[in-house]
Amino acid sequence: MAKLHFENIAIKAVVTTVGDKKITIEEEAHNFGYDDKMIKRLKKRMGFNSRYVVNGGVCTSDLCCQSAEKIFEKFDKSEVEALIFVTQTPDYKAPSTAIIMQDRLALSKDIVAYDINLGCSGLINGLLHSYSLINSGLETVLLCVGDVASNFSYYKDKNLTPLMGDAGSAILIKKGIGLGDFVLHSDGSGYKHLIIPEGGCRNPFNKDSLKENNFEDGVRRGVDLYMNGSEIFNFTLKVVPKMFEELFNFANVSKEDIDYFVLHQANKYILQNIAKKLELSGEKLPMDTMTIYGNQNSASVPGTINGFLSDEFSSKKLKVLFAGFGIGLSWGACLVDVDNIFAPKIQYYGEKNDKK
Amino acid sequence: MTKSEFLELLVETIDTECELNEELLLDEIEEYDSIAILSLMSMYDDLDLKVGPTDFKDLKTVADLMHLAGSKIE
Repeated sequence: MAKLHFENIAIKAVVTTVGDKKITIEEEAHNFGYDDKMIKRLKKRMGFNSRYVVNGGVCTSDLCCQSAEKIFEKFDKSEVEALIFVTQTPDYKAPSTAIIMQDRLALSKDIVAYDINLGCSGLINGLLHSYSLINSGLETVLLCVGDVASNFSYYKDKNLTPLMGDAGSAILIKKGIGLGDFVLHSDGSGYKHLIIPEGGCRNPFNKDSLKENNFEDGVRRGVDLYMNGSEIFNFTLKVVPKMFEELFNFANVSKEDIDYFVLHQANKYILQNIAKKLELSGEKLPMDTMTIYGNQNSASVPGTINGFLSDEFSSKKLKVLFAGFGIGLSWGACLVDVDNIFAPKIQYYGEKNDKK
Repeated sequence: MTKSEFLELLVETIDTECELNEELLLDEIEEYDSIAILSLMSMYDDLDLKVGPTDFKDLKTVADLMHLAGSKIE
């Protein structure tokens, strides 16, 4: 387990932009062959309801740039010294999208900019990089996280697609008053449980990559994301509560010291199980993000802040725990202080930035 | 717990209206699907039993679900 402690670093702003197209489970049930009874069951047991996605052609960087521009209404963009972009859906295979975003956002050419390829644990890893850069001398880092999941989850995949939402967040981190404690893990032995099998160097894109294949859990192609839901659920049950214990011990805190547990919003059922194990109420551990917006991958922690905790984060000093877990397999959690940060409610793509 | 308490727990976990007995084939339970398996993994986890997705592969009857609970059933 990697354990890291930071001092004098603070999150100053969190903004999330989601796709502007709302789809309800009823509207797309025909793609998955779900009847009314199954829809009812999925809603009741798993928390399925709706999701927000982009229209074709919109990239994660577009959502993140809108979020960042919102931050720059309050903060001076010339202070940004690094831009880190955590995503599995970059604009191009090369170059790093973060470098293109430097120009789009009219940031200084003196910044360091790079992408990190991570999904559900990406926010924690992105924060770790941001805190490390500030610990090494920088003053201000812009972290962008998110995915346009509709790019890699096939519309007929009943196992995955009704879960997924599109979102891009921007987070501003600066030298300031605040602690940060991190624990992180990686286990590549489970890489096959969440994978886009084709299109990389191991299994290059080929003439059959766009061919539909029928599986028990739906229809998908070689270039689409596959998820073994029961293995991922089992992994989550086993590692997440244990990781929290590790973080409590490392940071020398008890769960009562923590105001909010903002976790990756895989689905409501997983979060209910984690809350039950930790004996936490839904008030302290919000779990409705996937039900309203969809699973937002690395943007689901900031998406939950902007979606459900905007008033609290905007008006209070809080000690909060963030956690991410999933593809890799990779999982991590951090405990950070926030104090009256800029955390407006969810933005919708295309919405005017000056809209109040 | 007793066998009948375990059967009650199964009904609640699988969220079924079926009356469960040991001989009943799992295929005959309409709600015994991938969602039910997630719920069952969580149920066994609550009982401090290490039961993973592969443990469900060859199960045929309700009695097989009971066997997974081992000594937790009196």
